Amino acid sequence: MISVSDIKVVFGRGTPLEKKALNGVSLTIAEGEFVTVIGSNGAGKSTLLGVLAGDVIATEGRVTIGTVDVTRQGTAQRAGRVARVFQDPLTGSCGALSIEENLALAARRGERRGLAPALGPSRRARFRERIAELNLGLENRMGDRMDLLSGGQRQAVSLVMATLAGSDVLLLDEHTAALDPGMAEFVMTLTEKIVSERKLTTLMVTHSMRQALDYGHRTVMLHGGEIVLDVTGDSRKTLQVEDLIAMFRKMRGQTLDDDALLIG
Amino acid sequence: MSLIAFWGAVELGLVFAFVAIGVYLTFRVLDFPDLTVDGSFPLGAAVAAVLIIAGLNPWLASAVAMVAGAVAGLVTAMLNVRFRILHLLASILTMIALFSVNLRVMGKPNVALINAETMISPFFGLGLRDFYVRPLFVGVLVVVAVVVVWRFLESDAGLSMRATGANPRMARAQGVSTDRQIYLGIALSNALVALGGALFAQTNGFADVTSGVGTIVVGLAAVIIGETLFGARGILMALIGCVLGSIFYRIAIQLALSSDVLGLKASDLNFVTALLVTVALVLPRLRRGGAAR
Repeated sequence: MISVSDIKVVFGRGTPLEKKALNGVSLTIAEGEFVTVIGSNGAGKSTLLGVLAGDVIATEGRVTIGTVDVTRQGTAQRAGRVARVFQDPLTGSCGALSIEENLALAARRGERRGLAPALGPSRRARFRERIAELNLGLENRMGDRMDLLSGGQRQAVSLVMATLAGSDVLLLDEHTAALDPGMAEFVMTLTEKIVSERKLTTLMVTHSMRQALDYGHRTVMLHGGEIVLDVTGDSRKTLQVEDLIAMFRKMRGQTLDDDALLIG
Repeated sequence: MSLIAFWGAVELGLVFAFVAIGVYLTFRVLDFPDLTVDGSFPLGAAVAAVLIIAGLNPWLASAVAMVAGAVAGLVTAMLNVRFRILHLLASILTMIALFSVNLRVMGKPNVALINAETMISPFFGLGLRDFYVRPLFVGVLVVVAVVVVWRFLESDAGLSMRATGANPRMARAQGVSTDRQIYLGIALSNALVALGGALFAQTNGFADVTSGVGTIVVGLAAVIIGETLFGARGILMALIGCVLGSIFYRIAIQLALSSDVLGLKASDLNFVTALLVTVALVLPRLRRGGAAR
């Protein structure tokens, strides 16, 4: 289980550019639950993900992953609990290292790293097996540098990397946004397979409302640093993309009105 | 070029192979341009020379020199990681400070080691001529260093150091403390460079406070020449490239200086070095198909 309670994040506090990125967000995600997060630009999606990953330390509030309070822990410190796939395929893996070296790096996420060879025969075999499951033919290219792969292949490998070591939560940060439609669908199908097979507690940020409703058990919409929609179960099943768009419009209208007041 | 001059160049190349491996660790693995080496090389020479003269076992003296180099590296790393000073500037600050430290260590600008018992002296007079013994001895140590650094970089711990240099954000997401890796990498690099300095003092019979000038350029030249000769084909090849690049560099310099046709003097060394490094930097780009636009 992961929970954030009454999280506030303020960037540039006390300056003219002060921005409240999150304004009292509380969210509890049950073990094995798959939550999708949507919201317009600046809604606070990335900040929320950053708060869970450790990239952003909350100004106020508490973050708990499993049974541990990680509010003050940095990214590296809590990496053993958090698996992650980034939006940019170049961020999630190391272009200068080979596929199997990337996997070796990920296999010891959050653990002590000693002087034993990173690629022993048994590990090599295990990695090869996991990569073969992707059906991308990459198992024959395990020694190739990661930057020789396409963006989609890199994201697929990143997904495998995220599951090599145990974790309490999987964070997906618009991980198909940079891919072409065909590859995006492949990666989404793979995501669903991995998440359901391994019963991973997952939080997926997405720009696509279609994805947000088609995948997972629960959808949360952020706006202006607050949760404005949290649907699950039957009410989610009947929800259509059009409904979400209408809600988006409505909220955008509100901010426009505010601006109009200010200017007027 | 005479036989003695040739083997002298090989010997110097092997001594500076330690610098090249150190520079490879910082510039290539950690992506941290570290100029500390201009100070840690003479620091290694100074510490080893002074301790050997004081009667300490030369192996132990060289080990202490390595520790001194590592500490110098830690200072640079701390200036960068803890106090957020730009890496290049942090290393220049340490380098400048080390000039004074080295003078303090030696008590004078130059210390002679003639007739002192060094790491190499037991091997003289075993049948081989001295100008073969020196490169052979240093060469064995270089092989040991290459193997150790190679095994390290292909271990779990080494992998996290490589990831720190290549993609720090990803490294942190994998639980690697990138700050700690920078400390470790810069310390290791400067320990190797200081060992190079210690060997330089013992093979040449002196330690000089100015012997560090341009160390970084020589190390970088070796790394780049190695890469130009071998290309990027794994860690082991890169390290061997460093060693051969360092030897190649010394032979090229020796050739340039000893050929009467060019009319060069020893004082032209720095200019020739700069020219050689420039050529080595430009060459791969030209080979890749025309000048980079």
